[in-house]
Amino acid sequence: MSSIITLTLPGDILFARLASQTASSIARLLADDQQTETESCVFAHAFELAVTEAFTNSVTHAPENATSAMVTVTFLFEQPHLTVSISDANEPFTIETPAPDIESFPENGFGLLIIRKLMDRVIYRRDGEWNILSMSKSL
Amino acid sequence: MTITETSQIGIAILSLNGTLDALSAPDFRNNRSVIDPEKSVVIDMENLDFIDSSGIGAIVGASRQKRQPVGGIILSCMNDRVRKVFEITNAQKLFHIFDDTIAAVDFAATRQSARA
Repeated sequence: MSSIITLTLPGDILFARLASQTASSIARLLADDQQTETESCVFAHAFELAVTEAFTNSVTHAPENATSAMVTVTFLFEQPHLTVSISDANEPFTIETPAPDIESFPENGFGLLIIRKLMDRVIYRRDGEWNILSMSKSL
Repeated sequence: MTITETSQIGIAILSLNGTLDALSAPDFRNNRSVIDPEKSVVIDMENLDFIDSSGIGAIVGASRQKRQPVGGIILSCMNDRVRKVFEITNAQKLFHIFDDTIAAVDFAATRQSARA
């Protein structure tokens, strides 16, 4: 059996915490029965951070005049995988970006690196006008 | 996030409480001690619950502005969640990191007096 939850939020950084804390809560709920307390916290933190990064990217890469832009966050649980998909109508992008050179004291470019390190599987696809970034991790 | 600032032996101690992310990073960047290139700053992270790449970027960027990029900002008391983000981004290589703030302040003061 699978479960789907969808949030549609304004593309505003104010809503990043709502998206990420929802992700953390769902991950924790799923993990609590099957993992130790420590494992469950790590699993929840991975989703909290990955969703923060993906949502922030959606907001910061929106066109400047996109005042009505929305970001959709979809949670799909298919035992034992939790997948979160972030959708926006921004310009296409690639997830194959190199890690920033830390020795040059970079301020940006860490988001996708963090997502790739935390998740078991990260898939980007373009569906019409939509970017869809899917991030999965197994319990 | 709230920032509480105190000073000991000429070292600014910024205690961060809450979440350092894209929403709160500008508050950190605009702090006067953070902006001042001559000011040594210890960031006490004991009550920092969450940091993301925007928060890491804000601290790394602030460090770059210091006269001594490695050593101008010193970190203390980070929890496992915060430490993990520093490790993933490799940003821990740029900082001296202490388990307690008193040791961090002592270290900063020693470096500062060596420069004087």
